[in-house]
Amino acid sequence: MSGADALIDRVTSRDAPLRDQGALIDAVWKLESARIVAGLVRMVGDVGLAEELAQEAVLAALEQWPESGAPDNPGAWLMAVAKRRAVDHLRGENRHGRGQERLAHDLATRPDGDAREMDDVLGAVDGEVGDDVLRLMFVSCHPVLPAESRVALTLRLVGGLRTDEIARAFLVTEAAVAQRIVRAKRALADAGVPFEVPSGPDRTARLASVLEVVYLVFNEGYSATAGDDLTRPSLCLEALRLGRLLAGLVPGEAEAHGLVALMELQQSRSAARTGPSGEPVVLHEQNRGRWDRLLIRRGFAALLRARQAGGPLGPYVLQAAIAACHAGAATPEETDWPRIAALYDALVQVLPTPVVQLNRAVALAMAHGPGAGLALADTLTGEPALARYHLLPAVRGDLLARLGRRDEARAEFERAASLTRNAPEREVLLRRAANCAGSAMLAGDSGASVLDGSVGGVGGVVLGAAVRAFLARPGLTAGTLRSYDQTLSRLCLRLGADLPLADVTPQRVAAVFTAEWGTAAGATWNRHRAALRSFAAWAAGQGRTSADPAAGPAADGAADGAAGRAADGTAGRASDRAADLAADLAAALDRRPEPRGRVRPIARSHLEDLWARPDVAPRERALWMLLYESATPAEWALSLDVQDLDLPGMSAVVRGRRHRIRWEAGTAALLPLLVRDRRRGPLFLTDRRPGPGRAPAAADLCPHTGRSRLSYERAEHLFKRATGDLDPEGEGYTLHRLRHSRLAHLAEDGWTAPMLMSLSGHAGARTLREFVRAGQPAVATADPPCLPPERPRVPARPSA
Amino acid sequence: MRFLMTTKGTSPAPDEAMLAEMGAFIEEMTRSGVLLATGGLEPGGVRMTSRGGEVTVTDGPFAESKEAIVSFALVEARSREEAIELARRFWKIVGDGEGAVQQVFGPEDAPR
Repeated sequence: MSGADALIDRVTSRDAPLRDQGALIDAVWKLESARIVAGLVRMVGDVGLAEELAQEAVLAALEQWPESGAPDNPGAWLMAVAKRRAVDHLRGENRHGRGQERLAHDLATRPDGDAREMDDVLGAVDGEVGDDVLRLMFVSCHPVLPAESRVALTLRLVGGLRTDEIARAFLVTEAAVAQRIVRAKRALADAGVPFEVPSGPDRTARLASVLEVVYLVFNEGYSATAGDDLTRPSLCLEALRLGRLLAGLVPGEAEAHGLVALMELQQSRSAARTGPSGEPVVLHEQNRGRWDRLLIRRGFAALLRARQAGGPLGPYVLQAAIAACHAGAATPEETDWPRIAALYDALVQVLPTPVVQLNRAVALAMAHGPGAGLALADTLTGEPALARYHLLPAVRGDLLARLGRRDEARAEFERAASLTRNAPEREVLLRRAANCAGSAMLAGDSGASVLDGSVGGVGGVVLGAAVRAFLARPGLTAGTLRSYDQTLSRLCLRLGADLPLADVTPQRVAAVFTAEWGTAAGATWNRHRAALRSFAAWAAGQGRTSADPAAGPAADGAADGAAGRAADGTAGRASDRAADLAADLAAALDRRPEPRGRVRPIARSHLEDLWARPDVAPRERALWMLLYESATPAEWALSLDVQDLDLPGMSAVVRGRRHRIRWEAGTAALLPLLVRDRRRGPLFLTDRRPGPGRAPAAADLCPHTGRSRLSYERAEHLFKRATGDLDPEGEGYTLHRLRHSRLAHLAEDGWTAPMLMSLSGHAGARTLREFVRAGQPAVATADPPCLPPERPRVPARPSA
Repeated sequence: MRFLMTTKGTSPAPDEAMLAEMGAFIEEMTRSGVLLATGGLEPGGVRMTSRGGEVTVTDGPFAESKEAIVSFALVEARSREEAIELARRFWKIVGDGEGAVQQVFGPEDAPR
């Protein structure tokens, strides 16, 4: 099995035609794997062997398709080859006197495998495909396997995911996933699990196991429990597919439809549940305009099918009904909380878990007031299952805050923040904690300096209190507040909120900065640094209030690094040692250079003007057009030799880069004029021969004309000079910007990161993200020259 | 990734066998969770133009009917290749014709 994975991997990373085939095979395999593997298990009676045979078919495709081209019906091809392998295998076993029973079992109704046309045998198997897929799901979700193995095996066999895809989705190593799958297959064989859909009372329990696996996959994607990325959406979509497939196979099972309804409704909120910087947005604050009405409608339809299937209301149907209450409310205020509370009352009967109780507490609070909810939530604090569950203190914090018990609320929020493994979620919780404190501060001490003598001077103030007071000042904009809060919360978390301010030394601060943001982009580092300097300046001003009241307001207006610099300038005059310290807190932190992160694209109209100019020399015209059409780095283009070009194929290989540059009609029309009858040597040449004493390397010299390779500097200079009047800033554009303009334009036209990568030779998607994000996902306005004759195909794998 | 597949007016009128095959195909795509929505469009429809703040509604005349989009399918695919493969299966059933496969961007793709 890993053989085919590795081959797909290899093939997908090599040159384009092979990659095309690899991507196609991967796509077809994912569509067909469930049916192929299921059909094979029926034939050979063993999951592990079936998968191996299926993988052999994939290997055969990887070998044959790149040479012979993809077959007319790729899915049927894979199916047929896999089944022939299975028949070969069975015959081989038969000859060796093994597998008689299997043959007898599988081919009992067929008089003689050899005498019959192969396709008849295969056709006979085809009729039961749906049932086979269902059997496969029951087997791969068998309770004899641990949950994580069930998940991995199901994604592998039914979803057709590769080992590396599963590993990435679950943040584990590929080896670990492979191991889980191998063990699972062995365990199934050892236990002699039959390939069948269970009946009787067993069926309900086994179906519950299948539903659980699907929902586990969904939840893993929906609420990633670790890491900075809140959703790994492809898992949600995978689970939705599995669920829809299952519901179609067992249409009489209300719970299967209930699960689908639940997932459709939850997924409908996926675009709304995170904010701009990835932080979670709670349900009642979500922009309901971003909810996916199509999925909501599908969710309602699935819920209706569940009701029509009849039977007692199970946990999935009830949860879906609750989700439907939310989905049906146009505004948070219109939410039917009494109905939701009633549904939770029913749910807790069939699913009496502490987590459900906690959710019920929230519903009760919404329906009947925070006191009612808190009473229930308080009964859960002793639950061992919830001891490390961050949502319990988070919910209690919320209810306490609404009851005005701010100090208790703050403690709960801080506790919740310390329990969650999700970074954006932690940010939100810490902010809420700070807000509790801030509100309390404003209510209690409005107008007074919070760092004055009442708490024993600056030396006696602790970091957490100072930060809260700093953030609670009136006049901060929401954006500034959030930005400062991110920096200072992290500082409190790392250093401890109860560390005396006097002990917050530049060295300690620098250590936190290095650990937290040492590898971040310059702009990020500088933003945190500015926040710290602002805080330091303010704290210094507060510290001086007793000695020098005039210093306060000046520092108080600080909103960015500029004020911090002002404080630096005055720090020497301050008498208070703590104030000096505070003002110097950022002393060990140097401002970092901020590269012009986003290369702004050149407007399409400017480029059209440029192409239309009559006075541009053929060399420049060809180079610029090539850079734009191929989105190739200028160094690569300039490094091309005439013999590298494939003029009819409109492409060239960059030596030593393993990258094939592809251009389009514009460049194709210009290059012959540039090449003329040259056969070797640099493509782009200087205007004159090099002077004596400046002999370039032989490889950079044209054997026909004696001229040398055009340098980057010269090419850049010429482009800047030519575009000075187009550039609104008057400086002229750079070649780099020209190249990136194409990427940005393609992204605007809907190209995805992997497609752009494969065109431009960018090594990682990270550097391309700006284009994909920056581009309006708008429909392309009529723009024919941008569309290449054939778009590069790339593997289906999500770009790392 | 969502993709919208559209077909322009197709030449041969669908016969019963093709309708049955198409029905089975749609059912299978729905069952496997790929097909989210599908439908047919009246040819032409009402044409609307907005120029300089003035919105004009026109009943016709329209471009040739074979230029008009007559049916659509919205699918949830894992990759562009998968979407294209699904479209290929569709065309195998339909026969001659012309259409498009375009990725659909949702709110999650919009800049915030």
